[in-house]
Amino acid sequence: MATFNEKKTCSQRMENFSRFVWNPDTGELMGRTLEMWVYISLYYAAFYCVMIGLFALSIFSLMKSLDPYHPDYQDRLKSPGVTMRPNIYVDDEFQVIYNMNKNSTYNQTITSLSQFLSVYKVKTQQEMNKDCNNVTDVASLLTGQQHTKYACQFTTAMLGNCSHEFDSTFGYASGQPCVFIKINRIINFVPKNDSVPFVNCTAKKGDLGPLEYFPPGGFFGLQYFPYYGKKAQPNYTNPLVAVKFLNITKNTEHNVECIIEGKGFITDNLHDPYEGKVSFRLKVEN
Amino acid sequence: MGKKDNYELYSVEMEKGEDGDMDVQIKKKSKGGKKKEKLEHMKKEMDINDHEITIEELELKYQTNVTRGLKSDYAADVLIRDGPNELKPPKGTPEYVKFARQLAGGLQCLMWVAAVICLIAFGIQMSEGDLTSADNLYLAVTLIMVVVVTGCFGYYQEFKSTNIIASFKNLVPQQATVLRDGEKFQINANQLVVGDLVEIKGGDRVPADIRIITAQGCKVDNSSLTGESEPQTRSPEYTHESPMETRNIAFFSTMCLEGAATGIIINTGDRTIIGRIASLASGVGNEKTPIAIEIEHFVDIIAGLAIFFGATFFVVAMVIGYPFLRAMVFFMAIVVAYVPEGLLATVTVCLSLTAKRLARKNCVVKNLEAVETLGSTSVICSDKTGTLTQNRMTVSHLWFDNHIHSADTTEDQSGQSFDQTSDTWRALSKVVSLCNRAAFKGGQDGVPIPKRIVIGDASETALLKFSELTVGNVTEYRERFRKAAEVPFNSTNKFQLSIHELPDPLDLRYLLVMKGAPERILERCSSIMIKGQELPLDEQWKEAFQTAYMDLGGLGERVLGFCHLYLNEKEFPRGFSFNTEDMNFPTSGLSFAGLISMIDPPRATVPDAVMKCRTAGIRVIMVTGDHPITAKAIAASVGIISEGSETVEDIAARLRIPVEQVNRRDARACVINGGQLKDMSSEELVDCLKMHPEMVFARTSPQQKLIIVESCQKLGAIVAVTGDGVNDSPALKKADIGVAMGIAGSDAAKNAADMILLDDNFASIVTGVEQGRLIFDNLKKSIAYTLTKNIPELAPYLIYITASVPLPLGCITILFIELATDIFPSVSLAYEKAESDIMHLKPRNPRRDRLVNESLAVYSYFQIGVIQSFAGFADYFTVMAQEGWFPEYCLGLRAQWEDQHLQDLQDSYGQEWTFSQRLYQQYTCYTVFFISIEVCQISDVLIRKTRRLSTFQQGFFRNKVLVIAIVFQLCLGCFLCYCPGMPNIFNFMPLRFQWWLVPLPYGILIFVYDEIRKLGVRRHPGSWWDKELYY
Repeated sequence: MATFNEKKTCSQRMENFSRFVWNPDTGELMGRTLEMWVYISLYYAAFYCVMIGLFALSIFSLMKSLDPYHPDYQDRLKSPGVTMRPNIYVDDEFQVIYNMNKNSTYNQTITSLSQFLSVYKVKTQQEMNKDCNNVTDVASLLTGQQHTKYACQFTTAMLGNCSHEFDSTFGYASGQPCVFIKINRIINFVPKNDSVPFVNCTAKKGDLGPLEYFPPGGFFGLQYFPYYGKKAQPNYTNPLVAVKFLNITKNTEHNVECIIEGKGFITDNLHDPYEGKVSFRLKVEN
Repeated sequence: MGKKDNYELYSVEMEKGEDGDMDVQIKKKSKGGKKKEKLEHMKKEMDINDHEITIEELELKYQTNVTRGLKSDYAADVLIRDGPNELKPPKGTPEYVKFARQLAGGLQCLMWVAAVICLIAFGIQMSEGDLTSADNLYLAVTLIMVVVVTGCFGYYQEFKSTNIIASFKNLVPQQATVLRDGEKFQINANQLVVGDLVEIKGGDRVPADIRIITAQGCKVDNSSLTGESEPQTRSPEYTHESPMETRNIAFFSTMCLEGAATGIIINTGDRTIIGRIASLASGVGNEKTPIAIEIEHFVDIIAGLAIFFGATFFVVAMVIGYPFLRAMVFFMAIVVAYVPEGLLATVTVCLSLTAKRLARKNCVVKNLEAVETLGSTSVICSDKTGTLTQNRMTVSHLWFDNHIHSADTTEDQSGQSFDQTSDTWRALSKVVSLCNRAAFKGGQDGVPIPKRIVIGDASETALLKFSELTVGNVTEYRERFRKAAEVPFNSTNKFQLSIHELPDPLDLRYLLVMKGAPERILERCSSIMIKGQELPLDEQWKEAFQTAYMDLGGLGERVLGFCHLYLNEKEFPRGFSFNTEDMNFPTSGLSFAGLISMIDPPRATVPDAVMKCRTAGIRVIMVTGDHPITAKAIAASVGIISEGSETVEDIAARLRIPVEQVNRRDARACVINGGQLKDMSSEELVDCLKMHPEMVFARTSPQQKLIIVESCQKLGAIVAVTGDGVNDSPALKKADIGVAMGIAGSDAAKNAADMILLDDNFASIVTGVEQGRLIFDNLKKSIAYTLTKNIPELAPYLIYITASVPLPLGCITILFIELATDIFPSVSLAYEKAESDIMHLKPRNPRRDRLVNESLAVYSYFQIGVIQSFAGFADYFTVMAQEGWFPEYCLGLRAQWEDQHLQDLQDSYGQEWTFSQRLYQQYTCYTVFFISIEVCQISDVLIRKTRRLSTFQQGFFRNKVLVIAIVFQLCLGCFLCYCPGMPNIFNFMPLRFQWWLVPLPYGILIFVYDEIRKLGVRRHPGSWWDKELYY
């Protein structure tokens, strides 16, 4: 192997390389003649066209096979996730920390809350959705044309003392902040046994003082279940539960956990902290 | 590599100086070598003139006494000064260096670089405050682990074979008889010093280089030093100016065959001739194996592609608008993704499988990479004695009744015998059996005759065995013919005779039998036996004798003549006292019985093996220290010089013209002896090698062997050297692969060799060639298989960067593909049978036929790999769509999808997902991509079974291991998918059955497409299709 082990000098390497790039003897450019390059390019162009065609065909047939109203599988969505507003993350956790005396510390929160709740305004809801209060046969009320369904109204009026109309600061200025708990939509998810799910907020440690839930009892009305999907129920709005902390110890950080109590809700998934529950840090300074 | 820089060229020049001294010089030509080292080598330049000076001078020089030996206390001093009399084992590579070498191959370096890049990328991510993804760290750790684990594996393999070789070493310390202070001692040979007076006798190994003082019929076997198979006489006379030729020096480690001698030690340990040759071997640099070169070439390709891809997507990422550091991390990730993590393990396992297979056939490989080298070999330089021949004189021809008969020379006596009915044969066999002083050592009844140990010199041994085989129990036969008198062989008479009584009690005649140099025997004969009749020996018979003698001599055989005479019972009655001094009996007028010639015959398996090598396009060159005539004869009989090939001299003799007038190109064969070689320039030698396809080098010295090997390498050949003697060891080391004989081989040869034939069977080399070629082909297939999945592993990341889809395939999953599921199938390709008769192909051209060529890489990456990627994405989009995320919605979703603070991301149906739910969905994607690759890889392994033939021609299920591997791969895939706990440990999710089926059409496509490719390659060899798509 002596011939192979001989160290090539840099110029030799360069020469070899430039010869590879353009070989004047055979008229080869990068190891192929121009004609060969055309052939091989055409071959690859054809090959990729065919492959992309096949791929497009398989995606096309996939899309054909899908139902536009509900997904084929909901393997990951066994139980809805739970979120809250205001949704300010610090260190991967929701937190509501503000100084009741400095409105600059909570003004942004209030703005985002009003924005979030704007869709629940009584007027908007009345235009979009049906009033399901005091209706026994909700299902027939909601039945629309063909596959479409109507949705039940959820208005800020149901949020009582936590509504914008009652207190434009949602209780933040008075040191009695409201948080809004929301359940994620899952198509065809219904709480089992017709038990009405409700929110139960507790402190992981210590005492939170009295709480007030809106709608009263913290219930998510069964009329909001199930969700029929974006296409069938384009105007569906998630039901909310507002939690008002009436007399929270000031200047102390509380770890609050709000769990959805109800049959069919999974709340003990170690790997998903937001399935069936939501927790946050709450601290009101003064 | 660092080794290359220290490339040193050693040359030992043994030439006659002006003053007639023989200089043994070891010169080191080193480019900028260290001065200190040079000095040390200068010291080695010394003369041996101990054979020329008188004994008195010798006594003075070594302060010794030829009758009383050294003084003990002085000997002790010298021992301290010179060190023990043993060959220093070649400075063995320290174990940690051996291990480090396992970690520093081409692929290993690639992986080290990748690991470092991973760590840097991890560092960048850390500094960016991204603490969540430790993938890069895992990857780095895994890469390092893979290198270390395969390193350990390779080290263990080599350690094992080293142990096998070490177990062959003779551990019994050698004893020597030494005279000190006038008293005889038996001491360990390593305690001997210069000046010691030692005694040697038949059967001893010469304990050091000695100057002979007295000798009685002493003969030594120098074959391990010079390659001569004939025993050499040793006597006190100074006969030649060259120490190698003179009779009064016996060399360390040669065997004393018979007789006895005393001598003064002139050199011990590493300063002996053999020690110098051995150190010459250790000076020759180790060559890189062809497979290592191939792997480096392959790493170049991989690295080039990786950097090209990485740079392209770095630019793309920058254009899309990623921040610089992020783009840098992408770049690194792509480069690393190109590293085939599993390949190192695959290559190591494949090579060790072959090593094991070879070991079963008695070829032990010291260095794993050398497994393949024999397959690439295009020239074998073979030593003669002991490698091609049995290293045992055997009767090969007889001439009686004016006819040359061939004897059976096979090792196991399976050959044809000659006609034994003639009366002349009976007479001749009587002479052969009786006129012989050799005898079997006792207690060997169970041993086959050719293997029995005999006391006596080589030709007597040959004759004894011959008569034992043809006549029967010689010992008993000799007892029946009681010996009355005997004259042993001596160099003045050149004959040996003995007188015997006849067993027939009525026949009271004596029988005189004689053997010796044929012309001397003929002189003493007046009649010749033909068909049992004694005919007068006239000119016609003499001519017949001459012709036969010349014929046998021309075969390179040693010829002896045999005659007998029945003594007249009146003149020599029973009880006659024969006087061997006065020769009071007739020694002329005898009756000539016949000629017998002997040779060290080729091993039975050799001609066939040489033939096979030739059909495999491998040139076999004989390089020996033996005489040209013998060498040529053996070369002709084993087929190194094929039938009908002539040398220049043959042509000259045939045409009756002077040698100079012969067109050298007409001669296919060529015999060159050491003397001629010395006068040739290296260009002439190269020309000669080019001109004559059949070459024999005779009377070569160790460094000439080295030059021959180098010249072959200069021609671009990959050279294998086979040998057993110390004189072969430098060439063994220099060769691309040195093959030493396990039984007959000296330790020096074994140390220098890369491969050892435990059964000394040259035919094993053919096995080695076959296995080497097979593993080269199969490694190609394994690598093609392993490389293919690089693209479907890389494509998800590229799409992830450019189209911002949720990541389809995770890092850990890739590692599972590389290091778990796909290892077994890729190794199983090593069990694939050859596609065609690989032993009928030419050896590969190391410049053109690369292990990994561009078409292999391009076909694997840009065709099969692309199909696999499409399969993966089809399955990925299926899973996403069926769970609620439509393909068009996925594009650009990445930022939201990966937002850990977004717990209510809407899918295409309006459903809201928490981050964890999305994460498990992402794991599901990983898993479907994983099984898509697996399904396609099953198809891939099936297509890789062959490169040219249809898979159906090769047999779908012929390779059982491969079938098992596929089943294993599927089971492992299922296990990873469905084993509880997997989602949170290794990010594998259980899959719905139909998702396994999505990639199936793509798998079938791969198979069909490749069958079409192979069909085109078979149908249109040399076409555009063949050039572009055959790898």
